[in-house]
Amino acid sequence: MRIPFWANPRLGLLVVIVVLVAVFTALRPAFLDVGLTIVPMQSDLTVFVVVGLAQLAVLSLGHMNLAVGRMAAVSAFASGWAYDKLDVPLPVGLLIGLAVGALVGAAAGWTIAATGVNSFVVTLALDFALIGLVSLLYSTFSDGVAFHVAPAGLDILRGDTFADYCMGDLCGPPIPLVVPIALVAALAVGVFFRNSRLGREILMTGSNLQAARLSGIPTRRRVIQAHMLSGLLAALAGFLLAVNNGAFSADIGGSFLLPSFLGPVLGGTLLAGGAVSVLGTVFGAALTEVIQTGLNLLQFEVEKFKIYIGIVLLVALSLDRLRHVLAERRSGGTAAPRPAADPVPAEHSGGAA
Amino acid sequence: MTSTRPTIESGPTDRVRPAISLRSTEFTLAVLAVVAYIVLALTTHGSVLHADTLTAIFQFLAVPVVIGLAQMVVLGVGQMNLSVGVVTGFCAMVTAWLMVDVGLPAWLALVAGMATGAMIGLANGLIVVLTRINGFIVTLATMTVIDGLRYGVHGTATYQGYSPGLTKLGQGAILGVPTVFLVAVLVAIAVAVFFRRMAAGRRLLASGGNPLAARLSGVSNDRSLVLAHLLSGLLAGVAGVIVVALSGSVNATIGDDLLLPSFAAPIIGGVALAGGVVSVVGTCLAALIVRLVDVAQAQYSINPDWVDLIVGAVVLGAVLITQLRGRAAK
Amino acid sequence: MTVTAEKLVKVFPGVRALDEATLRLEPGSVHALLGENGAGKSTLIKIMTGVLRPDGGRIVLADGGDAHFGGPHDAQRAGIGVVHQERNLIPAFSVAENIALSAVPQRFGFVERKTTRAIAKRCLDQLQVELDVDRPVSSLSVAQMQLVEIAKALAVDSQVLLLDEPTASLTSDEAQRLFTVMRALRDQGHAIVLVSHKLDEVFAIADTVTVLRDGRSVAEAQPLADFGHDEIVDLMVGRAHAVLELARTPVDRDAVPALELDNVSTADGHRDVSLTVRPGEIVGLYGLVGAGRSELARAVLGLDTITAGAVKIRGERARIRDVGEALRRYRMGYVTENRKEEGVFLEQPISRNIAVTVWRRLARFGLVRSRDENALVSTYQERLGMRLSGPAQLAGQLSGGNQQKVSLAKWLAADCDILVIDEPTVGIDVRTKAAFHELIVGLATDGLAILLISSDLPEMVTLADRVLVMRDHQLVGEIDNAHDYERTSQAVGRLLHMTGR
Repeated sequence: MRIPFWANPRLGLLVVIVVLVAVFTALRPAFLDVGLTIVPMQSDLTVFVVVGLAQLAVLSLGHMNLAVGRMAAVSAFASGWAYDKLDVPLPVGLLIGLAVGALVGAAAGWTIAATGVNSFVVTLALDFALIGLVSLLYSTFSDGVAFHVAPAGLDILRGDTFADYCMGDLCGPPIPLVVPIALVAALAVGVFFRNSRLGREILMTGSNLQAARLSGIPTRRRVIQAHMLSGLLAALAGFLLAVNNGAFSADIGGSFLLPSFLGPVLGGTLLAGGAVSVLGTVFGAALTEVIQTGLNLLQFEVEKFKIYIGIVLLVALSLDRLRHVLAERRSGGTAAPRPAADPVPAEHSGGAA
Repeated sequence: MTSTRPTIESGPTDRVRPAISLRSTEFTLAVLAVVAYIVLALTTHGSVLHADTLTAIFQFLAVPVVIGLAQMVVLGVGQMNLSVGVVTGFCAMVTAWLMVDVGLPAWLALVAGMATGAMIGLANGLIVVLTRINGFIVTLATMTVIDGLRYGVHGTATYQGYSPGLTKLGQGAILGVPTVFLVAVLVAIAVAVFFRRMAAGRRLLASGGNPLAARLSGVSNDRSLVLAHLLSGLLAGVAGVIVVALSGSVNATIGDDLLLPSFAAPIIGGVALAGGVVSVVGTCLAALIVRLVDVAQAQYSINPDWVDLIVGAVVLGAVLITQLRGRAAK
Repeated sequence: MTVTAEKLVKVFPGVRALDEATLRLEPGSVHALLGENGAGKSTLIKIMTGVLRPDGGRIVLADGGDAHFGGPHDAQRAGIGVVHQERNLIPAFSVAENIALSAVPQRFGFVERKTTRAIAKRCLDQLQVELDVDRPVSSLSVAQMQLVEIAKALAVDSQVLLLDEPTASLTSDEAQRLFTVMRALRDQGHAIVLVSHKLDEVFAIADTVTVLRDGRSVAEAQPLADFGHDEIVDLMVGRAHAVLELARTPVDRDAVPALELDNVSTADGHRDVSLTVRPGEIVGLYGLVGAGRSELARAVLGLDTITAGAVKIRGERARIRDVGEALRRYRMGYVTENRKEEGVFLEQPISRNIAVTVWRRLARFGLVRSRDENALVSTYQERLGMRLSGPAQLAGQLSGGNQQKVSLAKWLAADCDILVIDEPTVGIDVRTKAAFHELIVGLATDGLAILLISSDLPEMVTLADRVLVMRDHQLVGEIDNAHDYERTSQAVGRLLHMTGR
């Protein structure tokens, strides 16, 4: 009794996105304007997809990373500092940022694995600590707010699309140069969790920690690695945002927390761990981006966007529950995976989640 | 899994907790707060002993205490409420709007502000129970919605000059104790009585401590969940009203920096995320300690960024100590 | 007559867990409910307490009316209380509050503490137990918690009390105290149902007995005095399929032991445990629940600390820190007793459940191809006779027997040549059980060294070459098993009750 295709949350998301695009275009034809909307939308989306993936990396374990934003901020600081003080080329600065992000993530993972304290609390505390640290670092090493540096290639990465590159008459599509970076990241994370031993062992650890331990999986190491991946992706998101903004500033990552959950959760990744959907995360981020851009064009106040995004989140999740219930009823099954033939069935567990 | 080895002694009577244990989290926090205050007094040449400073310390302790309690109530049933901060801001805006734009008398606006919080909490609870979606995600969604609604009240503009009587009361003192702090203390006592003495409070903790056992004893876990969220919203509303009375002017950014402190206070105060255990005293003391860190920052004119760094470290430290203690006890 | 469960039927897909089972309870008596694992005891208890609904038959209450329990609370209201194996108390609450939880006395919404305490004291007095009612339950011993649970059942005026393995984690002194309490309750006119694996204890306290076998009641509320120890065992086991004759190849007793424990002591309390398992040999480790058998296996696998002595694998001293090391370095696997909690990943596909131990081997450049996994699934599907709809089916959708096969397959896939198999057939129906036994013997014939932990004596007699008996974390004897139930069971019985109780 597998869930039928129409109960697939990804499909639902895609339909909603298409409908919304159609509605917004009907109301404001400028929605499909390449320079005005399509290109900036893609640049923003790039950041949010990677942020979503950063959260997804630990949702795979059933953990949370409340410090995604601040991990991004610390990493962006490291990159900016390297460009400013060491004068390193663009890729080297990126690598330094990624390394710092991975390191901070690993530290969070280590604390969780070694002490057994809830990931929520650990990353919450880490978030607190990093908020302070990032501001201190910027006030000590920069003018207090940002590094205004432009290593060679940053402006190109920021401003160009493939349409700017032509071979004769044939030009590329109007896709910003940063998009492939996010695509590669999404693909890599997808392959990681679908095919790689490491990714699968992380999922198994999230699915059932005790069974994973008894199957010979070094669960502590997997916990640390998942958080390390989360830190790495947060760092990448921070870098991409810095590229889009054109500056490595202290406020990078400040608004990452909500989008980091929106993408994966809208895309059907549960908080329970053991299963992730990378494609869903991309769609979830896309939906959020479409709503924001659309409302922007319809001249809603920026502050009010959130009302609609929150409502979409609630409605989407409620519909998702409903779909599941209907799908289960149709296939005649009982709730969730329940052992079929067992003389001693597990006791139904009670209400509070 | 614990071993099923036969126990040697019939009952570890030596581990019974007396009413005031010297090893309890509350006691540790109380000692910490006193020591911190004495150190502050000595190193600032008694500046924290001045009446003005004291008043400021306790005036601005009121909101952290109430907001910490708002989070603690839901932690008691093993849930979280990410919307406490924005609900506080929203209720503050609604209260100000009712006084300034609608022209309601102050007392009525206050009641309406608190009721708004309770209604949002009720909505949170009902959504959690009816959809069975994880409470974290539900309140993340309502947080987003209310974050937007906050700006819907009056845009980014500021309300000020409402009810001089209210602000006078809010900034005033009774017998030298700031009024708003008194309110916070009364709220804390009410919450403590609710959890200790009232049947509904006990049922709520039973649901948090062992949902299955609670259900077998006829306790409705769903009702506990809804009630906890409702109270959490109400307390956030109270915090919003306190902000209105205390500050004399409000805008839509209120509540932005309250979410993290709302978790910090109960977690440092020894409240378990798993539910079933709450500590009003611990939560209040933890809020006081965080407040003292703030005071120290102001007194020593340290970069304010250190505050977050230190609070983060304290939260982690507190949790680690609790964890280690738990292990030692086993 | 207090309560009668008449011809209860409960069908789970593939299995008739209860097949017209009948349980008659009289007031003022202790009634033993006996049966092997999987005989249907738990299902019967769950129906009696309103957790499950029967597919056939009825429950008749004292007033002659039929009971229709919508949930546990209904059963409670009808006067049927249960003391579960898993503790159903609120740890942070006081003894008094736990006892009175079902009907907290209150006035104007406030808990009336005095009345609460009085109720608790009354119930504890009824049990003739001295206990400070203001102590938090979390500070009590397991035995005390059990008494609180019984008191809790009395608080709602339970006429019937179901005790499910109440002495499993008690010392014998504590058990004696519990029996005193049970006798007192019986004399007050309560009907008490005792579910226990320990026959001695049953004979010491029970008045009447119902024996379940394969979901049927083979003895219905008969006086226990009419039976002897052996007769009861015969009823439970059913001679017909007590011992399956399986062809065994003789073990080479001179071969280097695949697994050897040399005076091993553990942090969990094992003292000087020595045993050997040779290639091709099945060594049984028998004992009562709580004797420390699974704990020993866990210590060997590095999940618990070994404080003294040596573990030798193929003659060489081994230091094992976790299951991964046991698997990769020593090719030793552990099939856990807790299938659902530790054995399989319920929400994951079967392919991943089986391949989890061999991803390291299957991976090329760190990536695993599903083709390789699926090949693995078909191999073991055939070899173990698993009934699957496909490799992508979720493990949670399988029957208990097939789940157990998945749990075993992952170790076979990993080419283990030492297997610790813990309670392989708990909750598995008779036919699957027989197939499983053949399978285990087949593995030994292939040369695997198998340490078999089981509380199922007929299973031991069928499978083991030698049976080691463990009591209170120590080995108390060894029996050469000639696959003769009579002889082996008597020998085991002597070892288990050597000093008497």
